[in-house]
Amino acid sequence: MLHIKPILSSLMRSKSAPVLLLLQIILSVAIVANASFIINERLSLMQRESGYAEDQILTFNLYNFDPAIDNMKQNQVDQQILRSLPNVIDASYSNMLPLSGSGWMDRYVDGPDADTAKSTPGFAFYLGNEHLLNVMGAKLIAGRNFTADEINTSLDDSGMMALVSQPLAKAFWGDESPLGKTMYQGEQAVTIIGVVDKLQGAWVDHENFEYSVIQNIDFGGSSSNKSYMVRALPEHIPALEEAISKALYAENPNRVVENFQTLTTIKNLTYSNHRLMATVLSIMVVLLLLITALGLTGMVMFNIQRRTKQIGTRRALGARKRDIIEYFMVENYLICIVGGVIGGMLSLVLGQQLMSLYSLPMVPVIYPIISVIGLLVVTTLAVIVPAAKAANISPAMATRSV
Amino acid sequence: MLSMKNISKVFKTDLVETHALRDFNLEVNEGEFVAVTGPSGSGKTTFLNIAGLLEGFTSGEFSLDGVNVSNLSDNKSAKVRNEKIGFIFQGFNLIPDLNLAENVEVPLRYRGMNASERKRRVESALEQVGLGARMKHLPTQLSGGQQQRVAIARALAGEPRFLLADEPTGNLDSLMARQVMELLENINQQGTTIIMVTHDSELARRAQRNIQIVDGQVCDFSMYQPAATGTR
Ligand SMILES: Nc1ncnc2c1ncn2[C@@H]1O[C@H](COP(=O)(O)OP(=O)(O)OP(=O)(O)O)[C@@H](O)[C@H]1O
Ligand SMILES: [Mg+2]
Repeated sequence: MLHIKPILSSLMRSKSAPVLLLLQIILSVAIVANASFIINERLSLMQRESGYAEDQILTFNLYNFDPAIDNMKQNQVDQQILRSLPNVIDASYSNMLPLSGSGWMDRYVDGPDADTAKSTPGFAFYLGNEHLLNVMGAKLIAGRNFTADEINTSLDDSGMMALVSQPLAKAFWGDESPLGKTMYQGEQAVTIIGVVDKLQGAWVDHENFEYSVIQNIDFGGSSSNKSYMVRALPEHIPALEEAISKALYAENPNRVVENFQTLTTIKNLTYSNHRLMATVLSIMVVLLLLITALGLTGMVMFNIQRRTKQIGTRRALGARKRDIIEYFMVENYLICIVGGVIGGMLSLVLGQQLMSLYSLPMVPVIYPIISVIGLLVVTTLAVIVPAAKAANISPAMATRSV
Repeated sequence: MLSMKNISKVFKTDLVETHALRDFNLEVNEGEFVAVTGPSGSGKTTFLNIAGLLEGFTSGEFSLDGVNVSNLSDNKSAKVRNEKIGFIFQGFNLIPDLNLAENVEVPLRYRGMNASERKRRVESALEQVGLGARMKHLPTQLSGGQQQRVAIARALAGEPRFLLADEPTGNLDSLMARQVMELLENINQQGTTIIMVTHDSELARRAQRNIQIVDGQVCDFSMYQPAATGTR
């Protein structure tokens, strides 16, 4: 039987120490709840599947500074060279690199009349040829890929086609199939010919991160500086860096081949802020819980010192050892639960502030609840040892101590 | 009722061994009021602690209420203390954060008594010591004599067979001491066996039986009791 009532009224009468501890617990819960929510948000951002063959994709930049080079032709030749290198599965030009933090964004409308047409959400706008899908390792789930003879070289060409990511298709067309739909970019018509399971854009924090389109344009000829993606098995990638440079310089030495990165590296770099944030917050949560545990242990030890005679008296009056342990556990659970409830509510208020200030999502109630449960575990660990010590105080302390 | 045979108690510290009790023999009968006197350090508190199962002893035999209590487990002796023994301490030992009713209730809660029975007993015990009207007061709001009466109420509430008191009047002035003594006498008359350690020879003489502890051994003066009374 737990003697909650007298413990509670005793607590209410003893003032400062429990109040300070209570404040500490309130703040801990409020902070831990919000921090663990943010940690979890960041972790789940980082854990999203990209849908790309991340560790099989090697990217690099190519800069042609020889004015005599015909970029259009050179782009085709270079891609041929890349594809013919040993161990290369496929290679392609791309106007932007997935997950890289920079790229193109666009939107389509569903009719030629700008005033009445309905717009799709913004999407990452990949321009590439029929090889791009294979290089990315993205999965076509409906329709078809482009064929070699369908590839345009300029945004002004006709015969535009697009592959759209499944999330974008869902968001705009719902359950209806987008295949065969004609969309517009200004006056220009684009026909949707395929749906890709997953195709993330360049900006990992963007709400439209999963909305993407690949349009049938090999744009590589229009610029002297461009990026390529080469797909190969991970074990072949280190050697490929050298092979690629060698082959491309052999073709024409008047250029720079640089900035080799696998998509895995790009992804890690992009998410490094999130990882840092999650790490720092995790350390903070652990420290806070540790400090709270120390506070609890300290207060229990102080109380045991102060109450030696009282504990002896209780033992003399018939308390068993477990009654004494129970006393300290219940006392601190009470502080912890009261502090937890107030702290939990405070964390929701705090969460609301953070939400409006930094447009974070609302802290779900489960986080304060989990924080309080975590705190109860910490309380148990922090209190049980000194409480067991208190239980060993001899009943003779009732007559012996002053 | 209480029977100690050849009890000895040795306190061992790193440097010294203290023989607090040696070959200690005592029989106390049901319903007796025994006053224990003796010089400081002679072993009175040690005797009372052993009698009240507050501490163990080094050798000898001890039975309480006909039951050998020499080797009780910690939980069992807690149960015996709770059910059979009432304690009164020199320093009252009330719990400062609990009001009078809650203080008196402490041993009843350890007995697992239900709330209505606890309430009834707390009220009647506090009535009995004349503090029925002050149940919600805190110990610090009371005089020493009143606090000791609360402690007596706490001891009585459990309806113990034994009352053990270690200098219950040691912290009280003579008027209050006399009031407490009268209360104890009343309780004794209702059948509770009382063993009281005291330094006050006048109070001791009022008890039915006097024993003196010297150097951890009993000098039983019960047979001289009539003479002692006669000198008053
Ligand atoms: N915990 C202990 N450790 C060591 N020695 C102790 C302990 N408790 C008591 N003693 C010693 O045992 C002896 C008897 O002590 P006890 O407290 O029983 O005496 P007392 O008769 O109650 O004295 P007083 O009248 O001063 O209260 C003393 O010499 C004391 O120092
Ligand atoms: Mg003493």
